[in-house]
Amino acid sequence: MRMVVAYIRRVFKILRAEVLVLPSRVAVLVFIAAVLALPLVTQDYYILRIMILTSIFAILAASWDLLSGFTGQMNFGHALFFGVAAYVTALLNLRLGLPPYFSIPLGAMGAVLAGLIIGIPCLRLKGSYLALTTLAFPIILMGLVFAFPGITGGELGLSGLKKLTGSRVADYYVTNVLMLVLGGIMWKITDSNTGIILHAIREDEVAARAAGINTTRYKLLAFCLSGFFAGIAGGLYAHFMRLAGPSTLEVGLSFQVIIWSVFGGMVSIYGPIAGVFILNPFMEVLRIFLDNFPSLPEMRMFIFAALVLLTLRFMPEGLIPWLRDKVESECPRCKVRNVFFRRSCRICNAEMT
Amino acid sequence: MAQSFLEVKNLRKEFGGLTATNDVTFSMGRREIIGLIGPNGAGKTTLLRLISGILKPTSGSIKFKGKNITGAKTWNIVNMGIASTFQNMRPFRRLPIVANVMVPCLSPRAMKRGEWVKKVEAKAMDALEFAGISDMALEKASTLSQGDLKRLEVARAVATDPELLILDEPFGGLSPAETELMAKSVARLHKGGRFGRLHSEGPAMIIIEHKLQQLMKIVDRIIVLNFGTILADGPPDVVVKDPKVIEAYLGDGGTTCS
Repeated sequence: MRMVVAYIRRVFKILRAEVLVLPSRVAVLVFIAAVLALPLVTQDYYILRIMILTSIFAILAASWDLLSGFTGQMNFGHALFFGVAAYVTALLNLRLGLPPYFSIPLGAMGAVLAGLIIGIPCLRLKGSYLALTTLAFPIILMGLVFAFPGITGGELGLSGLKKLTGSRVADYYVTNVLMLVLGGIMWKITDSNTGIILHAIREDEVAARAAGINTTRYKLLAFCLSGFFAGIAGGLYAHFMRLAGPSTLEVGLSFQVIIWSVFGGMVSIYGPIAGVFILNPFMEVLRIFLDNFPSLPEMRMFIFAALVLLTLRFMPEGLIPWLRDKVESECPRCKVRNVFFRRSCRICNAEMT
Repeated sequence: MAQSFLEVKNLRKEFGGLTATNDVTFSMGRREIIGLIGPNGAGKTTLLRLISGILKPTSGSIKFKGKNITGAKTWNIVNMGIASTFQNMRPFRRLPIVANVMVPCLSPRAMKRGEWVKKVEAKAMDALEFAGISDMALEKASTLSQGDLKRLEVARAVATDPELLILDEPFGGLSPAETELMAKSVARLHKGGRFGRLHSEGPAMIIIEHKLQQLMKIVDRIIVLNFGTILADGPPDVVVKDPKVIEAYLGDGGTTCS
C-alpha cells in the first residue's frame, strides 16, 4: 500500500515538474485524455465513426512526416503504402481467414515490402523527380488492380472483411490507442540518434555521407518504417470499413496526407496528427452546417482550400509550430523551452528576453 | 614499409571537355602533413573530392593502406579513416551545432572506436571543445560566423577519428588571430593523443591553403598543382624558390612568393 502511495506521489511529482510547466505538454496531455474520454461523453455512431477515421488518417499523416518531413524524400504517393496494406490485409482476411490482429501486421509488412521495392529505385532520385516518380507508383498499382479483377475485385474492391472488433466503442479504442502508441513510437524514433541522422540527410546529404553515414541505408530505413506505420493505418482502414477498394490508392489521398501534414506542421510528428484532428472533424462539421444552404454546394472545398492557403501564407511552418512559438519561448542561454510569461528560465535561471 | 599509406596513381578527372586533374601521382607516409597549393582552378579541390569519394575519377587509382578505394562510396571511405572538410562549409543548418557533430559520431567508425563512450553527445561535445566552439553547442548552426563554421567543419571531420585528414582551406576567411589558433589546433591534432573522450590517432594530413605563411609552419612537404598537373613536390623552402612555381603564381618577373 505504501509503495502504491509512493508511486502515485512520484507520478504527480513528474507531472508537476515536467508536464505542467509547458503549455505544449499540457496540450498533449489534454489531447490524450480527451481522446480516451470521448466515448464516455457520447456514443453516437456517427461521431465515433468520424473519430475512428480521423485517428487512422492521423497515423497515415504522421508516417508521411517520418519519411518526407524528416528525411526530405518528398513522397507524393503515400497512398501506395496505405492501399497495398489494405489489399494485403483484405486478401489475408478473406482468403486465409486470418483475424484482424494477424492480418493487419502482415498487411503492414506487405507495405514495408512495397516500400523496399519503390525505395530502391527512388534512392537515386532527388527533389521533384522523386516526387513525380512516387506519384506514379500508386497509379501503376491502381492499373494492376483493375487488370486483375479476379484477385483484387476490380473497381468494386474486396468487401466483406471481418469487423475490427464487435462494437463501435471497442473499434474506437483500438484505433485511437494504436494512434497514440504509434505516434509515440514515431516521435521517439525521430527524437533518437537515428532521428538526428534523418535530419542530417534532409539538410545536406553529401555532408552526411562525408560524415561517414551510409545514407542509402538510412533512406531505405525511413521508407520501410514509414511504410510499416502507413500500412498499419491501411489495415485498420480495411477492417474498419470492411472494404479495400481502389479509393485507398487514389492520388487524392496522397495529396490529402500532404495537406494535413503541411497544415499541422511538418518535421514534427505531432503536427500532422494535430492537423488531421483539426481538419478532418472540421470538414464534417462544415458538411453538416452547409447542408442548411443547398445553394452553396461546393462551398466546403472552397473553405477548405482557403483555410489551407491562409495557413501557408501566414504560418509557413504550420499551425502547431506557430502556436507553440506563441506560447513558449526559448531560453537564450540553455535553449530550454519556457512558458512565454516567465521572466527567468526554469532550468538555468537566466533572464528571458 | 612496402606499401605507402596513401598512394595516388595517374589520377585523372574530366568534366566534359575540361581536365581538372591530369595524371596526378603522389604518395604519402603515415605521419606526413602535406600542403597542397596552386592557383585558382588548379584542381586542388577536385583532387580532394576524388580522394574522399565525392567524385569518381575518370581513370587512375587511389590506394589507402594497400586497399584500392577508387570509386568507393563516400561513407565507406570515411569509415576506413579518411575524413575531409568542405571548402564551402556545409553544416546542417537547421540543427544545433552539437547535433551537427553527433552525426559523424554516429558513423560506424566512430561508434566502434569509442565503444566505451556511452553518450554520443559527450563525444560530440569533446570534438567541439577541441575545435573551440563548445560554448555555442546549442545554437543553431545557421547562426555561426564564417570562422566558427570552419571550426565546425574541423570538429565534424575530427569526430570520426580519422587516420588521414583532408582540410580544404581551413584558414580561409579567418582573421589572423583565428588563423593562428586554427594552425595551433591542427598541429596539436597531428601530434595525437586524447582530447577528453575524443581519441586522436595523430592523423596524416593534406591541407589545401592559400595562406602560405601559416601553412609553411606546419607542413613537412608541399605539392604544387597547376592546371591539374603536379608542378613541384618537395619541402616547403625548396618549393617556394622553384622558378616554375613562382611563374605559375605570379607570372614572369615575380621575385617573392608569400
